[in-house]
Amino acid sequence: MNTFRSIHKTGFRLLKMIHAEDSIVIPMYLLNLVLSLGQIYIGLFLTAGLVDALLAGQYRQAAGAALMLLLANLFFGLASRLIQRRLQCLQRKIWLVFYVWLRRKAFSMDYETMERPEVAEKLLFSERTSDMQGGLGTLLYHYYEILKAIVNLLLSVSLVAHLCLRKPGAGFGVLGALASPVPSALLLAGMMAGTVFGAYRAFRRFAEERRALFESHTGVEDRVMYLTQQVLGNFKAGKMIRIYGMQDMILENLSVFLKKSWGHFSDACDVERKQGNANRLVDSVFIVGAYLLAALKVVTGAVTVGAFTQYVGALHQFGGACFTLIAVHGDLQKICTYMEEFLAFLDTENLHVKGSIPVEKRTDGEYEIAFEHVSFRYPGTEKLVLKDVDCRIRVRGKLAVVGRNGAGKTTFIKLLCRLYEPASGRITLNGVDIRKYDEEEYRSLFGVVFQDFKLFAFPVWENVTAGRARNETRIWEVLEQAEAGSMVRGMPGGLDAYLYKDMGDGVEISGGEAQKLALARALYRDAPVVILDEPTAALDPKAEAEVYARFDEMVKGRTSVYISHRMASCRFCDDIIVFEDGKIVERGSHEALSAAGGSYAKMWSAQAKYYDAATDSPPEAPACARS
Amino acid sequence: MWRQKNSDRRQDRKQTRRKQTRRKHARGWQAEGGQARGKRIRDKWDNCRYVFRRLGQEEGPGAFALCGGDLVFGVLLPLLEAALAGAVAACLVSGRAPGEILLLVAGYVILLQTARYLQGHLRAMRDKTLFLFRIDIMYEFNRKTLEMDGQSLETAKGREMWEAAKRNVYNGNHFGIEAYAKSFWNLLLNLCGLVVYGAIVGRESIFLLLLLVSQTLLVTWFHGVAEKRALRAEDEIDRKWSGFQYLRRESIVPQNGKDIRMYGMDKWFLKTFYQMIERSVSLLDWQEKGYTAAGIANHLLSFARNVAVYGWLLGRMAAGRLALPAFLLYLGIIAGFENWVRGFLEAVINLEKNEKIIKNYRDFMSYGIVEEGKPGPKRAGKLHEIRLEHVCFRYEGNMECPEEGHSGEDTIHDLNLTIRAGEKLALVGLNGAGKTTLIKLLCGLYRPTSGKVCLDGQELQDLSQREVFREFAVVFQDVFTFAFPVAENVTCVKAGEEDGPRLRKSLEDAGLLERVQSLPKKEQTSMDKDMDPEGVTFSGGELQKLMLARALYKDAPVVILDEPTAALDPIAESEMYEKYDEMIQGKTAVFISHRLSSTRFCDRILFLEEGRIVQEGSHESLMREGGPYAELFALQARYYQKNPESVDRVPERMASV
Repeated sequence: MNTFRSIHKTGFRLLKMIHAEDSIVIPMYLLNLVLSLGQIYIGLFLTAGLVDALLAGQYRQAAGAALMLLLANLFFGLASRLIQRRLQCLQRKIWLVFYVWLRRKAFSMDYETMERPEVAEKLLFSERTSDMQGGLGTLLYHYYEILKAIVNLLLSVSLVAHLCLRKPGAGFGVLGALASPVPSALLLAGMMAGTVFGAYRAFRRFAEERRALFESHTGVEDRVMYLTQQVLGNFKAGKMIRIYGMQDMILENLSVFLKKSWGHFSDACDVERKQGNANRLVDSVFIVGAYLLAALKVVTGAVTVGAFTQYVGALHQFGGACFTLIAVHGDLQKICTYMEEFLAFLDTENLHVKGSIPVEKRTDGEYEIAFEHVSFRYPGTEKLVLKDVDCRIRVRGKLAVVGRNGAGKTTFIKLLCRLYEPASGRITLNGVDIRKYDEEEYRSLFGVVFQDFKLFAFPVWENVTAGRARNETRIWEVLEQAEAGSMVRGMPGGLDAYLYKDMGDGVEISGGEAQKLALARALYRDAPVVILDEPTAALDPKAEAEVYARFDEMVKGRTSVYISHRMASCRFCDDIIVFEDGKIVERGSHEALSAAGGSYAKMWSAQAKYYDAATDSPPEAPACARS
Repeated sequence: MWRQKNSDRRQDRKQTRRKQTRRKHARGWQAEGGQARGKRIRDKWDNCRYVFRRLGQEEGPGAFALCGGDLVFGVLLPLLEAALAGAVAACLVSGRAPGEILLLVAGYVILLQTARYLQGHLRAMRDKTLFLFRIDIMYEFNRKTLEMDGQSLETAKGREMWEAAKRNVYNGNHFGIEAYAKSFWNLLLNLCGLVVYGAIVGRESIFLLLLLVSQTLLVTWFHGVAEKRALRAEDEIDRKWSGFQYLRRESIVPQNGKDIRMYGMDKWFLKTFYQMIERSVSLLDWQEKGYTAAGIANHLLSFARNVAVYGWLLGRMAAGRLALPAFLLYLGIIAGFENWVRGFLEAVINLEKNEKIIKNYRDFMSYGIVEEGKPGPKRAGKLHEIRLEHVCFRYEGNMECPEEGHSGEDTIHDLNLTIRAGEKLALVGLNGAGKTTLIKLLCGLYRPTSGKVCLDGQELQDLSQREVFREFAVVFQDVFTFAFPVAENVTCVKAGEEDGPRLRKSLEDAGLLERVQSLPKKEQTSMDKDMDPEGVTFSGGELQKLMLARALYKDAPVVILDEPTAALDPIAESEMYEKYDEMIQGKTAVFISHRLSSTRFCDRILFLEEGRIVQEGSHESLMREGGPYAELFALQARYYQKNPESVDRVPERMASV
């Protein structure tokens, strides 16, 4: 557990952040605090007056007191209801804004930093704990509760101190002596100290048990969730589970964790019960003492019966506030401890500088990119994925990048896009190290379709423009180029049709259709460099041939980089780079590389061998006839 | 905490809305109204019996004793508390000796505190039992999910039912069977409280009781109006919430980070987030407006009622017909009465809401039941002949498949096909031709909409599903592994039941043994990190091999391969084909591939178009025929031909398509 200081340092920093996001939240809480305590104590005073008046048989006065009491209740009730409305909204806002803070930071980080396991873990941890144990809203609420408990304690103590000072009448012997100010003050102080001590002890004892339980349970619920959501809830996997008869195996794995879960919750319930019992025991002793003391004052004539109700009420408040303070502070401690991870995430520094030079705007697309002895390894690994890669990408050329799985092709692209930085060597744009350019401007030079590209459940047009302004002519132009025009026209709502079902009723699209839209998105940028990583993997031969056929038109006047396992795509590229084990092993045209008989030729023939017969007896008409 | 409350309340409102539509329906058929109500009550009674029967079965009779004990103390404690002020005041003004008074006060307070202690203890025990009851129920739900009919589960209806039923056990303490049982006892508790308090007040004055009851009814009505108003925003709130969740999830998926950065989508997303929050808050505010109005009305009413009650009580006192202790007791009782009413309403709402979940759960548990006792295939384990007769299949509205056609039209249309024992068959065609659907039909994963599928002359529908599945080894297009050890992923049986040598042989034949042997715990190493942080992530190519190893281990007489090489490089692809070729020796095999060239090792090739077989024959004969197959083949082959000129020509021709 962290020290008191560091906890509240975290807590106050977060409170400041909340205040900066919305400056009305904290004042609203303070107002609420005044109202809720005001209601309690004013109620106590007025009730005392009422009871005394009744005892004295002054019914007119009693009626006045009763009316005052009811009016006070009405006032406080109405006021807090009105504040409640406002607070509800503010709480919701604060709770949701937390997730946006996390994302704003995540977006501002460079890809490599974000991909580091410890950074990603901080993000996920903050998310998860906020979901499971309450986040910013809970923190705020806890501070409110704590402040309220403290004020409540002060009020009740000062009120009860007043009780102690009241002198008893004469002639009550031992009781009278006990009821006189000093002994009764000592008695009261002893009781209060005992309660605070007892409450704290009870809390500490079970806090320890609770923590041990929590720690022994780490991950169990995550696993149960994994099994439920990803295994049972993965309906696509259902066919596999059934065909291969995996049911018993899965159930076995599941029941191991369900048993653990059962044991944990059983223990956790027991700890909570014992904690509750211990608290009640301490509180009960205090209450019995409090009643006795107040009754003592009454029977010795120090106070009236009406004052009795008032003091007993105050003492009740004292006990309650004590437990609240200790329990809530414990919870706050927990929240602050994990919020520290959140703050650490916000404070994460980027590994790389963002650069500041603007990129020269050229209409002629004369952007020449060169890799100069670039080596790279993924963070946290030893193996060099790229080894001394040295090449120049021809302006407005069509470059194909081929190689076996894991040879470094995609990494090459990621470095080019500045998602990673070389471990050694440098990449230049028109002779200047790309790290020196403003990151956003540099990236705007590229239209990329990654192998694992992603479209989002927004309208088609927003997906194509990536959230930028809507230029219909241009959108349709690129949709046509990507062979997606007729598909979009067929959707209900056309460009305004939502994709997927996540944001309401949208269109489900197949993998091939998604690929076409991703291509359109890349083209919409009108960037001088177009990079396509396996853009036809989900297309059937006909659709693939159509994309190939349009390729020239798509990349006209631009530099293009094309990665594919379909060797056929090398035929329409004028330059081919062959990667093997992180190195460029061959480079040249298809003819030259085929003739060289190296890696490229081997890969080519591995695929071409199936089509040899076609070369022997070519069919007379290609697929044009059928459409 | 408040969040939980909010979502709770949202559920309540939804429930009320459903109730209202149901009411409307009931009104619509006036003649049947009575009957419908009768049925509703019978259903409620039935669901209630179900829950408590299961409670008895899972947790034993002790559970009922705990709940009963809690009930007794639950009524007793508030009563004692309400009477406290009066009783102590009575003591204090009784004029007894001071010592005696102190003893009496102490005795009374101790009694009360003892009751409080016991009540707290019993309540904790009760809640624990009901909590564990829910966890005990999880197992049967999971088993049902795994063992029910697959096609029924895969439909949109099935998935919806599953999601709805899942709430019964997986949605925390406030939903489902646990909450139902709790609400039921709370209902009884508050009912008892109401009766007891009502009797106390009513004994003093019927007028007072009527006043209390009518104020309560008014307050309930106001609140109901506010609820009804709030409901109107509920659908949008739900939609916005799931949209927010979606964006929340997607915006931090690591792989999406590349697109987000390259396309500068951060501004787009942040803007959308803030818009969503603003909307969500303004919707809430709109709802709160109604509740605030109801709250204000409530406070005013309470004030009026209290004025009346105090006035009446004071009048009685002034007339000397009521003593101070009784006065204080009545104040306590009246304040307490409100709590019972609130508790009662809350319990009713919770019970209703959770009853709906129980109903969904029971519906799911009796949905898609696989019929027991059907025979297995008579030629189990031997080479099979598969025959399809006039098979039609259509994805109905509730079952969507963007890859293979939409609802309303046949994905497979009147298809006849006989796959001879030991034959190697290839299925080719464009995307959406129905290839994947066809293989699901022929291994019994889907039932045809019409027509029949027979295994050695026996109709699949008449055979035990589980035993039919044993005859098939399928490598699906999508790769599925679970975060279990490699061994379990390959053998698909419980740990310890696997056949070690056979496992190693399958891994070896799939070309994966070396990799697995190099892992820290060999074949017991977990895949991915979801279940074991030490787990290992496999590359796409390795996963493809693992799928093969799984099929090899199964060694079933029919092998089905669905486009299994899309992610592989040319060399790996070619190696994979060789392995497949080896694997299907001596078996009946069906093979789907986009790469037409790879179908050459098959005896017969079917060309599928819009769910129909448009061409069939061997590669050679199809090439000679010059139909769609030959055209498609030429389209692919063109780029691999030695003469580069032909490549340049294709684009021009294609552009005119």
